Amino acid sequence: MEQKVIVVARRADATAADASTRAALPAAFAELNRFVDAWALETETARTTRRHTAGMPAIVEFKDAMLARVDEIVAWLNQYTLETLPDDAKTLMYLLLSLAEVAPAVEFYQQAAVIDGYDPFRFVADETFSMRPVV
Amino acid sequence: MNAIPAPDGTLTARYAELGAGLIPVEPYISPEYYEREKAHIFKKTWLQVGRVEEIPEAGDYFVRKLDACDTEIIVVRNKRGEIRAMHNVCSHRLNQIAYDRTGHTRKFFCKFHGWAYDLDGNLTGVPDEKCFFGLDFKDYALTRVACDVWQGFIFVNMEPEPKMSLADFLRPMYGDVEGYPFDKLTVGFAWETVVDCNWKLALDAFQEAYHVAYVHGNSIADAIDKTAGGSMPPLDALCGEFHRRLSLAGNQKSVYGNPKAVTSGGAAAAEALSDAGSKRPVAAAALRAGIGSARHEFPLDALPKGVNWTKSANWLFDINVVFPDFYLSLRPNYCQAYNFRPIAHNKTLFEARVYYPEMTTPGGRFFLEYMKVALRDVLLEDLSTLERTQRAAETGVKKFMVLQDNELLVRHSYHVIERLLAQAEATTE
Repeated sequence: MEQKVIVVARRADATAADASTRAALPAAFAELNRFVDAWALETETARTTRRHTAGMPAIVEFKDAMLARVDEIVAWLNQYTLETLPDDAKTLMYLLLSLAEVAPAVEFYQQAAVIDGYDPFRFVADETFSMRPVV
Repeated sequence: MNAIPAPDGTLTARYAELGAGLIPVEPYISPEYYEREKAHIFKKTWLQVGRVEEIPEAGDYFVRKLDACDTEIIVVRNKRGEIRAMHNVCSHRLNQIAYDRTGHTRKFFCKFHGWAYDLDGNLTGVPDEKCFFGLDFKDYALTRVACDVWQGFIFVNMEPEPKMSLADFLRPMYGDVEGYPFDKLTVGFAWETVVDCNWKLALDAFQEAYHVAYVHGNSIADAIDKTAGGSMPPLDALCGEFHRRLSLAGNQKSVYGNPKAVTSGGAAAAEALSDAGSKRPVAAAALRAGIGSARHEFPLDALPKGVNWTKSANWLFDINVVFPDFYLSLRPNYCQAYNFRPIAHNKTLFEARVYYPEMTTPGGRFFLEYMKVALRDVLLEDLSTLERTQRAAETGVKKFMVLQDNELLVRHSYHVIERLLAQAEATTE
């Protein structure tokens, strides 16, 4: 009889890291540390959930703070490749991805949800899709 | 009421065989009609199930549930690098072989009694084999499903020997799309949802652009090249024996409507940023971050002649509907692939995927996230009408729908299905 082979998914499901384990931002961006617990989130699902629960004042506050320094953030992150981001850069990268997540809220809808939209929690992102990017 | 004439020069008049009349509501609400579609279309036609990049190595597999074919299939890459598809049904006492949606394995083992199959579905091991009576392994392989690949898209067909090859099925309409840089689009995102509506009702919402100015009025309506009247006429439409296409122009002064900006840079980028900087500062920041980051180049003049076939300078994207349920939207440097998989006459699995070039920098990744999130929210707008429309259709109040010229693809879709059902039923009766 043949030996049974254990089947494993090639990459574990991405899950939001515990906020307490998230590295602090690089010193140049320390003023943004106040957003880390809420917005430095690893998955689209976690980021969209935050967008739909944070409330518009919190979204706008986060967007304003990020947008004021977005070109500096991008330039600083670009010293690394996506595969080699150290922990503090990863935290900053997740904040940048959250800025993209809230962009339609502030630039399309002026509210967190799509106007008259389909339930976002029924439109489920496949966080295990094999072609997803490394971050 | 059904003898509406189409004026000369319209798209509708060009396809006179489709008529210009009203479209019945019955096919969208009838359980019987859906049973006919299952028997004569979905179980007889090539169906797109995924891309080769999803299973790059021998032993990589994914599982797709195809309710319209009453089955679930395993799609796997074998040791010779070929893609194989088989029903997810053990030859012994019929348990499903693969439980996970995706995975990597050397062999498939049934978790019921431990029967083992190789990556081609051949039976290779049976516990207590001597207790069976002259069991011949070659009689008990997994049941194979016809499977072929076009431009990296994997298709299956429930007919053991399909009447038409995949190439013969696709090439009359899409031969001149071959060579599109699908192989450079190696990063993807996927979503899915089950929508309580007929599969055609869902597809129809994506195969016309009449709705864009209205349904997408808050989001990407400004990405579209509009007429003075505010509507969005297509550059052109093409209808074939099975498939159909629509080509659309974008507003070059927008980030979403000028996708070439990120890979072309220069004047295209300057134009896209000209308005966005003040109106959409996050969009503009994302585009600035993305310029120059793509791993590959996407020269517009290298696109095959069937892409942007009118050669419009303002081209935004082509909608390609591959019969029956596959929607492929091709843009200068990314593409969207949707399937509208029927589950019941009023229930549809909507699978949405978008494929982008790999970005080499974190800034490029920010751009992709911006584009992906905008697309996802636009899809939430597209999906917003479907269940309401289905409920309205099921009231029976309206027996027909009326279509305008730029909704030609919806008309074509109805006629192709009617023709194939009539042909199939004429030969079986």
